[in-house]
Amino acid sequence: MPVPAYTFLLLSGAVFTLGAIGFMVRRNPLVVFMCIELMLNAVNLAFATMSRYLNSLDGVVFAFLVITVAAAEVVVGIAIIVQVYRAGRQMDVDELDLMKE
Amino acid sequence: MVVGFAIVAAWELVTAVGVVAFRKPMYNALSLVANMLGLAVLFLMLNAQFLFAAQIIVYAGAVMVLFVFIIALMNPEADISFRPGGTEWVYGVVFGVIFAALLAALLFNRGLTGRPGAFTPEVIAAAGNVQTIGTALYTRFLFPVEVTSVLLLVAAVGAVYLAMRRIR
Repeated sequence: MPVPAYTFLLLSGAVFTLGAIGFMVRRNPLVVFMCIELMLNAVNLAFATMSRYLNSLDGVVFAFLVITVAAAEVVVGIAIIVQVYRAGRQMDVDELDLMKE
Repeated sequence: MVVGFAIVAAWELVTAVGVVAFRKPMYNALSLVANMLGLAVLFLMLNAQFLFAAQIIVYAGAVMVLFVFIIALMNPEADISFRPGGTEWVYGVVFGVIFAALLAALLFNRGLTGRPGAFTPEVIAAAGNVQTIGTALYTRFLFPVEVTSVLLLVAAVGAVYLAMRRIR
Protein backbone atom coordinates (compact mmCIF):
# COMPACT_ATOMS: atom_id res chain seq x y z
CA MET A 1 0.00 0.00 0.00
CA PRO A 2 1.76 3.11 -1.19
CA VAL A 3 -0.15 5.66 0.90
CA PRO A 4 -0.35 4.71 4.59
CA ALA A 5 -3.68 4.90 6.38
CA TYR A 6 -2.28 7.53 8.74
CA THR A 7 -2.14 10.16 6.03
CA PHE A 8 -5.75 9.60 5.03
CA LEU A 9 -6.83 9.80 8.66
CA LEU A 10 -4.77 12.93 9.28
CA LEU A 11 -6.37 14.57 6.24
CA SER A 12 -9.76 13.53 7.56
CA GLY A 13 -8.99 15.02 10.96
CA ALA A 14 -7.76 18.26 9.41
CA VAL A 15 -10.90 18.68 7.30
CA PHE A 16 -13.06 17.84 10.32
CA THR A 17 -11.26 20.47 12.38
CA LEU A 18 -11.76 23.10 9.68
CA GLY A 19 -15.46 22.24 9.60
CA ALA A 20 -15.68 22.53 13.38
CA ILE A 21 -14.00 25.95 13.32
CA GLY A 22 -16.44 27.14 10.68
CA PHE A 23 -19.36 25.70 12.61
CA MET A 24 -18.48 27.75 15.66
CA VAL A 25 -17.30 30.95 14.02
CA ARG A 26 -19.66 31.60 11.13
CA ARG A 27 -23.01 33.32 11.67
CA ASN A 28 -24.99 32.58 8.51
CA PRO A 29 -27.09 29.44 9.12
CA LEU A 30 -26.54 28.23 5.55
CA VAL A 31 -22.76 28.41 5.96
CA VAL A 32 -23.01 26.71 9.35
CA PHE A 33 -24.90 23.95 7.59
CA MET A 34 -22.19 23.65 4.95
CA CYS A 35 -19.60 23.28 7.70
CA ILE A 36 -21.65 20.41 9.15
CA GLU A 37 -21.57 18.77 5.72
CA LEU A 38 -17.81 19.26 5.66
CA MET A 39 -17.47 17.44 8.98
CA LEU A 40 -19.72 14.59 7.82
CA ASN A 41 -17.58 14.26 4.70
CA ALA A 42 -14.43 14.04 6.79
CA VAL A 43 -15.98 11.26 8.85
CA ASN A 44 -16.91 9.44 5.66
CA LEU A 45 -13.31 9.64 4.55
CA ALA A 46 -12.19 8.05 7.83
CA PHE A 47 -14.80 5.30 7.42
CA ALA A 48 -13.70 4.52 3.87
CA THR A 49 -10.04 4.53 4.92
CA MET A 50 -10.53 2.02 7.71
CA SER A 51 -12.72 -0.09 5.46
CA ARG A 52 -9.94 -0.26 2.89
CA TYR A 53 -7.10 -0.94 5.28
CA LEU A 54 -8.96 -3.54 7.33
CA ASN A 55 -10.35 -5.34 4.27
CA SER A 56 -13.85 -4.89 5.60
CA LEU A 57 -17.09 -3.63 4.11
CA ASP A 58 -18.50 -2.15 7.31
CA GLY A 59 -16.94 1.25 6.83
CA VAL A 60 -18.27 1.61 3.30
CA VAL A 61 -21.76 0.62 4.40
CA PHE A 62 -21.65 3.09 7.28
CA ALA A 63 -20.40 5.85 5.01
CA PHE A 64 -23.31 5.12 2.69
CA LEU A 65 -25.76 5.38 5.59
CA VAL A 66 -24.12 8.64 6.69
CA ILE A 67 -24.60 10.04 3.18
CA THR A 68 -28.28 9.09 3.30
CA VAL A 69 -28.84 10.61 6.73
CA ALA A 70 -26.99 13.77 5.69
CA ALA A 71 -29.25 14.14 2.66
CA ALA A 72 -32.36 13.84 4.86
CA GLU A 73 -30.89 16.29 7.34
CA VAL A 74 -30.12 18.85 4.63
CA VAL A 75 -33.70 18.69 3.32
CA VAL A 76 -35.28 19.38 6.69
CA GLY A 77 -32.66 21.93 7.74
CA ILE A 78 -32.97 23.97 4.57
CA ALA A 79 -36.76 23.88 4.83
CA ILE A 80 -36.50 25.36 8.33
CA ILE A 81 -33.97 27.99 7.22
CA VAL A 82 -36.22 29.03 4.33
CA GLN A 83 -39.18 29.33 6.69
CA VAL A 84 -37.16 31.53 9.03
CA TYR A 85 -36.10 33.64 6.08
CA ARG A 86 -39.69 33.98 4.89
CA ALA A 87 -40.72 35.07 8.37
CA GLY A 88 -38.42 38.03 7.81
CA ARG A 89 -35.90 37.30 10.51
CA GLN A 90 -32.26 38.19 10.31
CA MET A 91 -29.99 35.45 8.94
CA ASP A 92 -27.79 35.25 12.00
CA VAL A 93 -27.63 32.23 14.26
CA ASP A 94 -27.01 34.49 17.26
CA GLU A 95 -30.30 36.32 16.67
CA LEU A 96 -32.32 33.13 16.29
CA ASP A 97 -32.97 32.50 19.96
CA LEU A 98 -36.74 32.09 19.77
CA MET A 99 -36.64 28.64 21.36
CA LYS A 100 -34.30 29.59 24.16
CA GLU A 101 -36.99 30.67 26.60
CA MET B 1 -0.36 7.27 -6.40
CA VAL B 2 1.53 9.16 -3.70
CA VAL B 3 1.82 12.23 -5.92
CA GLY B 4 -1.86 11.98 -6.79
CA PHE B 5 -2.78 11.70 -3.14
CA ALA B 6 -0.67 14.75 -2.27
CA ILE B 7 -2.38 16.81 -4.96
CA VAL B 8 -5.89 15.75 -3.90
CA ALA B 9 -5.08 16.24 -0.21
CA ALA B 10 -3.84 19.78 -0.86
CA TRP B 11 -6.98 20.38 -2.92
CA GLU B 12 -9.14 19.15 -0.05
CA LEU B 13 -7.45 21.39 2.50
CA VAL B 14 -7.60 24.48 0.29
CA THR B 15 -11.27 24.01 -0.57
CA ALA B 16 -12.13 23.26 3.08
CA VAL B 17 -10.50 26.56 4.08
CA GLY B 18 -12.56 28.17 1.32
CA VAL B 19 -15.77 26.76 2.78
CA VAL B 20 -14.93 28.23 6.16
CA ALA B 21 -13.37 31.53 5.17
CA PHE B 22 -15.08 32.99 2.09
CA ARG B 23 -17.32 35.92 2.89
CA LYS B 24 -20.10 35.25 0.43
CA PRO B 25 -22.26 32.15 0.90
CA MET B 26 -22.19 31.38 -2.83
CA TYR B 27 -18.40 31.08 -2.75
CA ASN B 28 -18.68 28.84 0.32
CA ALA B 29 -21.08 26.60 -1.57
CA LEU B 30 -18.88 26.38 -4.66
CA SER B 31 -15.86 25.56 -2.47
CA LEU B 32 -17.90 22.80 -0.88
CA VAL B 33 -18.73 21.39 -4.32
CA ALA B 34 -15.02 21.34 -5.15
CA ASN B 35 -14.28 19.71 -1.79
CA MET B 36 -16.83 16.98 -2.37
CA LEU B 37 -15.51 16.23 -5.84
CA GLY B 38 -12.01 15.89 -4.38
CA LEU B 39 -13.38 13.59 -1.72
CA ALA B 40 -14.94 11.43 -4.43
CA VAL B 41 -11.47 11.07 -5.98
CA LEU B 42 -10.14 10.00 -2.57
CA PHE B 43 -12.87 7.36 -2.37
CA LEU B 44 -11.73 6.09 -5.74
CA MET B 45 -8.16 5.84 -4.41
CA LEU B 46 -9.52 3.84 -1.45
CA ASN B 47 -11.10 1.29 -3.78
CA ALA B 48 -14.63 2.39 -2.85
CA GLN B 49 -16.16 2.90 -6.28
CA PHE B 50 -19.69 2.70 -4.94
CA LEU B 51 -19.05 5.53 -2.50
CA PHE B 52 -17.48 7.51 -5.34
CA ALA B 53 -20.69 7.28 -7.35
CA ALA B 54 -22.92 7.95 -4.32
CA GLN B 55 -20.80 10.96 -3.35
CA ILE B 56 -21.05 12.49 -6.82
CA ILE B 57 -24.77 11.81 -7.23
CA VAL B 58 -26.07 12.55 -3.74
CA TYR B 59 -23.67 15.20 -2.44
CA ALA B 60 -22.19 17.02 -5.41
CA GLY B 61 -25.41 16.49 -7.35
CA ALA B 62 -28.48 16.73 -5.15
CA VAL B 63 -27.40 18.35 -1.90
CA MET B 64 -25.21 21.03 -3.39
CA VAL B 65 -27.77 21.90 -6.07
CA LEU B 66 -30.19 22.47 -3.20
CA PHE B 67 -27.69 24.71 -1.39
CA VAL B 68 -26.83 26.75 -4.49
CA PHE B 69 -30.50 27.08 -5.40
CA ILE B 70 -31.46 28.32 -1.95
CA ILE B 71 -28.57 30.77 -1.85
CA ALA B 72 -29.53 32.12 -5.27
CA LEU B 73 -33.14 32.39 -4.12
CA MET B 74 -32.50 34.11 -0.81
CA ASN B 75 -29.49 36.14 -1.92
CA PRO B 76 -28.14 36.59 1.61
CA GLU B 77 -25.73 39.42 2.21
CA ALA B 78 -22.13 38.79 3.18
CA ASP B 79 -21.67 37.19 6.55
CA ILE B 80 -21.49 39.47 9.57
CA SER B 81 -18.97 37.20 11.28
CA PHE B 82 -16.30 39.25 9.50
CA ARG B 83 -16.92 42.53 11.25
CA PRO B 84 -13.74 44.33 12.30
CA GLY B 85 -12.64 43.75 15.85
CA GLY B 86 -14.39 40.41 16.13
CA THR B 87 -12.52 37.95 18.28
CA GLU B 88 -14.36 34.77 17.30
CA TRP B 89 -11.84 33.86 14.61
CA VAL B 90 -9.00 33.96 17.13
CA TYR B 91 -10.86 31.65 19.46
CA GLY B 92 -11.87 29.45 16.56
CA VAL B 93 -8.31 29.02 15.31
CA VAL B 94 -6.98 28.36 18.82
CA PHE B 95 -9.65 25.74 19.33
CA GLY B 96 -8.87 24.22 15.94
CA VAL B 97 -5.16 23.90 16.64
CA ILE B 98 -5.80 22.25 20.02
CA PHE B 99 -8.45 19.94 18.59
CA ALA B 100 -6.31 18.87 15.64
CA ALA B 101 -3.34 18.26 17.94
CA LEU B 102 -5.51 16.09 20.17
CA LEU B 103 -6.76 14.09 17.19
CA ALA B 104 -3.23 13.54 15.89
CA ALA B 105 -1.95 12.62 19.34
CA LEU B 106 -4.73 10.08 19.73
CA LEU B 107 -3.95 8.61 16.33
CA PHE B 108 -0.24 8.24 16.97
CA ASN B 109 -0.50 7.19 20.61
CA ARG B 110 -2.98 4.41 20.22
CA GLY B 111 -2.00 3.34 16.75
CA LEU B 112 -4.33 1.63 14.35
CA THR B 113 -5.70 -1.66 15.55
CA GLY B 114 -8.47 -3.89 14.33
CA ARG B 115 -8.94 -7.36 12.97
CA PRO B 116 -8.69 -7.51 9.16
CA GLY B 117 -11.78 -8.83 7.46
CA ALA B 118 -12.27 -11.15 4.53
CA PHE B 119 -12.95 -8.53 1.86
CA THR B 120 -9.56 -7.99 0.31
CA PRO B 121 -9.48 -5.96 -2.93
CA GLU B 122 -9.12 -9.20 -4.89
CA VAL B 123 -12.27 -10.70 -3.37
CA ILE B 124 -14.21 -7.49 -4.04
CA ALA B 125 -12.89 -7.28 -7.58
CA ALA B 126 -13.90 -10.88 -8.27
CA ALA B 127 -17.54 -10.29 -7.30
CA GLY B 128 -17.76 -6.63 -8.27
CA ASN B 129 -17.73 -3.66 -5.93
CA VAL B 130 -21.42 -2.76 -6.14
CA GLN B 131 -22.53 -6.38 -5.90
CA THR B 132 -20.46 -6.96 -2.76
CA ILE B 133 -21.79 -3.86 -1.04
CA GLY B 134 -25.33 -4.57 -2.16
CA THR B 135 -25.17 -8.04 -0.69
CA ALA B 136 -23.85 -6.66 2.59
CA LEU B 137 -26.53 -3.96 2.65
CA TYR B 138 -29.39 -6.36 2.18
CA THR B 139 -28.20 -9.18 4.41
CA ARG B 140 -26.04 -8.09 7.32
CA PHE B 141 -27.15 -4.47 7.39
CA LEU B 142 -30.80 -4.97 6.50
CA PHE B 143 -32.14 -3.35 9.66
CA PRO B 144 -30.12 -0.11 9.36
CA VAL B 145 -31.16 0.15 5.73
CA GLU B 146 -34.82 -0.19 6.65
CA VAL B 147 -34.48 2.38 9.43
CA THR B 148 -32.81 4.74 6.97
CA SER B 149 -35.65 4.31 4.52
CA VAL B 150 -38.14 5.27 7.23
CA LEU B 151 -35.95 8.26 8.08
CA LEU B 152 -35.96 9.41 4.44
CA LEU B 153 -39.74 9.12 4.33
CA VAL B 154 -40.11 11.14 7.52
CA ALA B 155 -37.71 13.78 6.19
CA ALA B 156 -39.66 14.08 2.94
CA VAL B 157 -42.98 14.43 4.79
CA GLY B 158 -41.47 16.96 7.21
CA ALA B 159 -40.00 19.06 4.40
CA VAL B 160 -43.33 19.15 2.56
CA TYR B 161 -45.12 20.11 5.77
CA LEU B 162 -42.62 22.89 6.50
CA ALA B 163 -42.92 24.18 2.94
CA MET B 164 -46.72 24.29 3.07
CA ARG B 165 -46.92 26.02 6.42
CA ARG B 166 -46.53 29.77 6.84
CA ILE B 167 -45.14 30.85 10.17
CA ARG B 168 -46.21 34.22 11.51
